[in-house]
Amino acid sequence: MSLKELVAGAGTGIRRASWVSALASLIWPLQAGVVALAIASLVTGEPGPGALLAGASFALLGAARAILNHRAEAMLFDAATHVVTTAREDIVRREMRTTRAASAAATASLATEKLDMLVPYITRYAPARARVMTVPFAILALAFWQSWAVGLVLLVTGPLIPVFMALVGIAAKDASRRQLADVGSLNDLLMERLSALVDIRLLDAGPSVIAGFADRADGLRAKTMNVLRIAFLSSTVLELFAAIGVAMVAVYVGFALLGALGFGSWGTQLSPAAGLFLLLLAPDYYQPLRDLSAAWHDKASALAVAGELAAARAETPAPLLGRGGDAAPLPGEAVITLKGVTVDPGNHPIRYPDITIRSGESVALMGPSGAGKTTLLRLIAGLCSPEAGEITVAGHRLDDTTADAWRARLGWMPQAPHFLNASLARNITFGQDGDLERALRSAAVDTVVDALPAGLQTRLGETGGGLSGGEARRITLARAIFAGPDILLADEPTADLDAATAEAVMAGLDAFSRRGGTLLIATHDPVLAARMQRTVEISPARQAARAMIGSDA
Amino acid sequence: MRAIWHIFRLILADQRAALLRGAALSLAVLVAGVALLGLSGWFVTAAAAAGLAGLGAIFDVFRPAAMVRFLALGRTAARYGERLFTHDATLHALTSIRIRLLEATAAAPHEVLARLRGPQALNRLMADVDALDGVPLRLVLPLAAGLTAQFAAFAMLWWLVDPRVALWIATGFLAASAVILTRSARQAARASRNEEASAQAFRSGVIDLIRARADLAVYGRLARQGESVLAIDRARQRDRASIDRIERRAGLWLSLTGTVVAAGALTLGMQLAQSGTLSPALAAIGFFASLALMETVAPLRRAMAEMGRMHVAARRVGGTLAVRQDTIAGSDGAPAADLRIENLRFRRGQAVRPVLDGVSLDVGKGESVALTGPSGSGKSTLLLLAARLLTPDDGRLLLGGKPLGAWDETALRAAVMLVPQRSALMAGTVADALRLADPDADDATLWRALDAVALEGVITAKGGLGLALGPGGSGLSGGEARRLVLARGLLRRPNLLLLDEPTEGLDADTALKVLRGVRAFLPTAAILTASHRKTETLWADRVVALDRRPARACAPAGN
Repeated sequence: MSLKELVAGAGTGIRRASWVSALASLIWPLQAGVVALAIASLVTGEPGPGALLAGASFALLGAARAILNHRAEAMLFDAATHVVTTAREDIVRREMRTTRAASAAATASLATEKLDMLVPYITRYAPARARVMTVPFAILALAFWQSWAVGLVLLVTGPLIPVFMALVGIAAKDASRRQLADVGSLNDLLMERLSALVDIRLLDAGPSVIAGFADRADGLRAKTMNVLRIAFLSSTVLELFAAIGVAMVAVYVGFALLGALGFGSWGTQLSPAAGLFLLLLAPDYYQPLRDLSAAWHDKASALAVAGELAAARAETPAPLLGRGGDAAPLPGEAVITLKGVTVDPGNHPIRYPDITIRSGESVALMGPSGAGKTTLLRLIAGLCSPEAGEITVAGHRLDDTTADAWRARLGWMPQAPHFLNASLARNITFGQDGDLERALRSAAVDTVVDALPAGLQTRLGETGGGLSGGEARRITLARAIFAGPDILLADEPTADLDAATAEAVMAGLDAFSRRGGTLLIATHDPVLAARMQRTVEISPARQAARAMIGSDA
Repeated sequence: MRAIWHIFRLILADQRAALLRGAALSLAVLVAGVALLGLSGWFVTAAAAAGLAGLGAIFDVFRPAAMVRFLALGRTAARYGERLFTHDATLHALTSIRIRLLEATAAAPHEVLARLRGPQALNRLMADVDALDGVPLRLVLPLAAGLTAQFAAFAMLWWLVDPRVALWIATGFLAASAVILTRSARQAARASRNEEASAQAFRSGVIDLIRARADLAVYGRLARQGESVLAIDRARQRDRASIDRIERRAGLWLSLTGTVVAAGALTLGMQLAQSGTLSPALAAIGFFASLALMETVAPLRRAMAEMGRMHVAARRVGGTLAVRQDTIAGSDGAPAADLRIENLRFRRGQAVRPVLDGVSLDVGKGESVALTGPSGSGKSTLLLLAARLLTPDDGRLLLGGKPLGAWDETALRAAVMLVPQRSALMAGTVADALRLADPDADDATLWRALDAVALEGVITAKGGLGLALGPGGSGLSGGEARRLVLARGLLRRPNLLLLDEPTEGLDADTALKVLRGVRAFLPTAAILTASHRKTETLWADRVVALDRRPARACAPAGN
């Protein structure tokens, strides 16, 4: 998606606002005319606008200009908000529909501060361009009308500015790309240091790590300064061009008024009013060009953001079945069947055996790492869909229309939980009503909660910092029990647990099973597998997997 | 406001000379601008008058023309210098603030560090500090320079033109802009604070949405999380819109002020000229000067709108910097190895149940002790206490016969090493990772440490010490990464080594090899492990069991 397409949704608004802004700039020649006539009348003694009339009309015209500018700014802001919120909503909605593993921090940064970089492009660059297309030409025409010599000066000096600007733009783009890249890598570096602060303290490596960071931060400062130096230099040079142009106009006007120059004003001597008028107009001839060049880097950053958005959109998402929303539980007996299911999670295709899991059964999925156990649990939860084959749940085909209702019956224990930036209670209940105490007791996690600094109101680190691995695992069990499911999918529920904790988790799972729940567990743990009624072996790649029926316990 | 002023003082203290130079130059820019326009207006009007009077030949063109050129070029040069000085000084000062912030963050208590959420902390160090550049660049310096320029212009106009014109222009600008700017700053403050809070909430909401997507989807909460994230953004946009509206309105009123002041100066000047008090050329000066004086107030518009955001950032940054870093001044000798724990009690925050309640144990020099007990019995907490990352509520911890708290930080860290369950590796080579523990270690030492944790073969196969690890140590499997962290711990050559489940995820043979390697590498160290594997408890000289509920004094068990 190009930048043009990105802002197309607000194209009319931007165009209209740009013209309003150009119109506002075109009021200045009128104000200049009033002032020129008024002051000239003082000099010549000829009748002109009186003091009050001159002041009042200057003020009224100025007010009109201010109000038009204000309107244009408001319209541009609305247009920018529209573009940015549309793009942002698009990003969030894509993330809601897909199950693609994206870098969360990068996506968040794209959706937050990077998208905001489109705003100055719309509010500054677009109107500056519209003014460049109109204002200098209008002033040039007015200048030629009064004096061809002044017109000529403007005509010759004006185009130097865009030429120089293009040259600077190329240098600036390079420097700002390097600087932006450095900002990104410094952020990554810092993020790592921040997550390693405990280790850094234990290793007493604080001073050296901080010194390393100081070096990098100073490097970034130098790169930022380079970008700024180019920007300042270019705006200085532009100011210089403008100053020279204005000075040439002033010199001509001064000498012409003194009667020292007889040419340049269509045969007659330049009148004082015309002289003042030209002098007041000259700086505004260059101003739009200077505005545009000042907004030049806004365009460069907007292009970079548009590029990133395009890259994010080009990725083909792995769609989630359903919306991941609330639904009434899918009716029917909790039977799960897989027929001819294959997936291709990237490196190698996986073919699953045809499996039927009956209601109330407890089944262990076993197989070496990478065989596709976790993927199978995700398939059954509708978190991804098979390339081929069919999954039937509770007598319905698992698809977009049934997935939400099916998941309303599921409990889920992931291998590595992520804790939301919210209280522990909210992380377990997700805002639903229910018997939290019972869920905590069933998962043998009530004592863990009692030992937390703020109990259920404690905010944990993202991966459960503040809890041990086993404790975090049991929190996910409590969450699963809290949801009151009749089918529980668990991914390595006992990995990394000591025997007593593993026993507690297994007891929780057993209790679930005894109450008639259907249990499907991916595990390496032979002790756990032995407690299930049945084991299904998932073999790795290509080699057709076969189902192994264990003893019916 | 006080927080912003505090930050400005920090920046000023860091970069006084450059900032003062920058301030002087920005004043020069404004004054030159006013002088340039005033002089040009006077010059052209006077030239016209002279031309009409037939005095063109004797009118001194060259001095005013030279002055105009000087002012035009001087202003351009001064602006360039001012921008360079102030931006360079500000960036320097902000870089040192960033570094001090990282130091302060690193000195936070362990409880805070363990639950640190990366995005929030990063935001403080990067975005908040970035937001502070407006304090000198767009608030304090322009305000100071603008006010001074106004007073200078007032004096010059009084002297050159007429007191009435001077008074009209100065009071018009100062009174109106004071009202407009303070009002908009006050109005924007709340919206800016809310906007910043929503931006943060949006960011962490998106991160939660992506990282917890599967969990949210299964529990039917994905759609709601997404909608709530979008609702946060809508709230943020509402705040942004109101900030923008306030800024725009301030801009409108400032332009109107400028227009009315200039129009008044024109009328006043013309009336004075018509009554013969002033020459037309002098009368023009007031009008032209007031056009230029617009430059003293216009840039402040943005600062007022940014003020809320700056204030939030200044408060957070100032708050973090103000946290006193308790450097423990203690003995700086080398603590001996033996650890003695007496009747230790520890409770986390306001927790209902203590984690440890009356635990005692000893670990002697050269001895290996394994702590056992179910998860939640406080094994890890005991290790954190022994490493002085936590402070006990009651009881005594003695290292080398002295209370743990009496050792100075460097001495303590040199003597005690804890390898926690969750350790972070950073991007860089294997050698970088290891030398974090001992910057002076030679390659042979690094290899010995790798050998001790049975990692020599793996690292050799993958490319040696120069093997580059990705962010978070990616490129190694979980078990390999843990052993690398362990090797890093060994390189500290501690007298007391604390290991939290050191062989988790290793097969029994490798685990035993690693444990033996550790002991061989540190033959005299006291080693205390938190263990639940048989391999570890069999290897240990002694096993101490912490049982779950009232964790009491524990008798030595095993051999």
